[in-house]
Amino acid sequence: MRALLVIIALGFSIAILVSIPAGVVANQQAASRITSTLGSAITQTEQALNQTLNQITCSLAPSFGGFGFTGSGSSGSRTGGGFGGSGSSGSGGYGGFGGFGGFGGGSVAGQFGAGAFGGGQANPMNETLYSNINTSISGVVAVEPMLQVSEGQNETVSFYGRTFTRMVPQYIIEGVPLTSDLVGNYPILPTDIASGQNLQAGETGDALLSENNSAYFGVGVGGTVNILGTNFNVVGIYKPSSVEDTEMLYVNLSDAQVLTNNTGYITSIKVFTQSTSDVNSVASAISALHPELTVSTAQDQLNALEAGQANSNSAVTNAQNSLASTNTTAIEEIIVVVAATSLIVLFVMLYTVRERTKEIGTLKAIGFSNSTVMRQFMLEGVLLSVVAGLVGIAIGVVAAPTLSSLLLPTVGRVVGFGGAGVRAGLANTVTVSPELILIGFGVAVLLGTLGSLYPAWRAAKIKPAEAMRYE
Amino acid sequence: MNKPVLQLEKLSKTYTLGKRAVPALSNLNLTVTAGEFVAIMGPSGSGKTTLLNMIGCIDKPTSGQILIDGVDVTDLPENQLWKIRRDKMGFVFQTFNLLPYLNARENVELPMEGRIKSKSERRERASKLLAMVGLSGREEHRPQRLSAGEQQRVAIARALANDPAVILADEPTGNLDTQNKQGIVKLLANLNITQGTTIIMVTHDGEAARHSERMLLLRDGKIIREKQGTHAMKKNTYASEAPPD
Repeated sequence: MRALLVIIALGFSIAILVSIPAGVVANQQAASRITSTLGSAITQTEQALNQTLNQITCSLAPSFGGFGFTGSGSSGSRTGGGFGGSGSSGSGGYGGFGGFGGFGGGSVAGQFGAGAFGGGQANPMNETLYSNINTSISGVVAVEPMLQVSEGQNETVSFYGRTFTRMVPQYIIEGVPLTSDLVGNYPILPTDIASGQNLQAGETGDALLSENNSAYFGVGVGGTVNILGTNFNVVGIYKPSSVEDTEMLYVNLSDAQVLTNNTGYITSIKVFTQSTSDVNSVASAISALHPELTVSTAQDQLNALEAGQANSNSAVTNAQNSLASTNTTAIEEIIVVVAATSLIVLFVMLYTVRERTKEIGTLKAIGFSNSTVMRQFMLEGVLLSVVAGLVGIAIGVVAAPTLSSLLLPTVGRVVGFGGAGVRAGLANTVTVSPELILIGFGVAVLLGTLGSLYPAWRAAKIKPAEAMRYE
Repeated sequence: MNKPVLQLEKLSKTYTLGKRAVPALSNLNLTVTAGEFVAIMGPSGSGKTTLLNMIGCIDKPTSGQILIDGVDVTDLPENQLWKIRRDKMGFVFQTFNLLPYLNARENVELPMEGRIKSKSERRERASKLLAMVGLSGREEHRPQRLSAGEQQRVAIARALANDPAVILADEPTGNLDTQNKQGIVKLLANLNITQGTTIIMVTHDGEAARHSERMLLLRDGKIIREKQGTHAMKKNTYASEAPPD
């Protein structure tokens, strides 16, 4: 009975001994994942922005600023939306990055990207009021009025005690003007067509779907898709580039306006300039014409990105600091557990020797040598720890995620926003490797041997006369 | 005349309790020859246990000499004494001292380990010894399934395991009821007569001592009286009796 208790106690110690390094490894992986995810997201966005340096996006501030970066973001270009996208639709493990989505801007795309901190719906703009933003402004070569409307379901989210309503978009209607001067000349449509063909100038009643849209509607090229009560022909399916929103469904601007009851209204205007050197003067000219507009250049977005980068750097720093504290805690705990384990073995074996004094005395009296007695007790202690080691490894393999999350500060928890996401990701990755199993077993046997040494020596020193004691 | 198996010469033992020296044995001389059945009697504190410990190589005398089977063991270190205990001594304790997790046969085999290599040989010998003490068929029983008398029989079989020069029995009947006392003492006497086993028995049970052939009375660490037991006269009686069951 006592042996069973010892095995369980020792087993748990060994389980903890195996779980802690497993947890540390998982935390290291999480930290490097955070680092690489943030890094690659920034790099991708930076590249995309560099390609659109001669673009200016104009929009009204969103009706609801949202949370975090959302308010400061201005024109939600495709680029912005795409960036946010990696937060919300991103691979679960990095939920924290969602906070970034808002940076995409107050546009509808931004809202999508914003994850839990989504911005509001974009304010519609009267098309005719802004018709003076055109090629008559010096340096402007083309203008793309756009209408972007998200369709989805509202969901209530609780975050740090506050409640937010966010839309979980199923698809985003992206109305772009399919005019002959824009189509093919300016990047208003996706370029990577997976099947079918791209939208053509002047086309109406046709739609270009993303792969996600296609799956959502269950329709392929040549089929029809019902959008808000109107049927559209699916002419093509595109593969979103890394910075494009994965849920955007492209139709002609006029179709989108009718469809969403927005005739005469748009949500943003994208302005293409002759060269990147014209961007600043054009932007000031537009601001002078319409002070109410948020005018955003790719440079602005680059600046915002830099701010985001700083933020992401601090997230990386946090993760690394957290990793350091995880390591420190792990070492401290391992020392405590090793000490506790040795003490358990030591005291239990001492107790056993004490309890069996008479038996040992008898063995000595009937002709057992000191070394035989010592060997016998060492063997018993080692056997005990072998069994305990096996039990401990069994417990450790099953309970390592739980034990390590109980015992270690996880990287995710300290990173902040990303906490839940990273932790969720972490829980799955705490695994006890075969090497760790071998090491755990070795440690168990080693501690068993060390812990039995003194008690076995005490046993060997028991006098045969102890056998004569009457109880 | 049989050869002496035990010779004690001017044996003294003094314990120190704090600063006080307490003499337990003083200048004790004793010779036991092979095949004797000696009973040592005396009140508590007379030095019986001390004497037994000296004979059993469990304790060392303050002065004097101990010879077992002609070998001077007085100054032997522990790393040699354990062999003397194993090969020359057989202990029988008042509280039997069987290992509870071993069965009767395994208990008897214990002292043979390290001496008899073959496991089957040990088994065979243990079974034979158990039969000799009247426990045929009980080999596989653990101590808790045996009566007190039966446990003491197993202990006696264990003491005989290595065919010792002397059986040292420390109050072997002390924990037994009247009927079992009789059985055990008769068993010892019978072994003494039929096998020629030398037995030194410490007891304060006069009834038990009468079955020996030589009674020593100990007081204050000295043998103050020695007389014949009734054993010798009844040798034929014991021999004709079947081993008690």
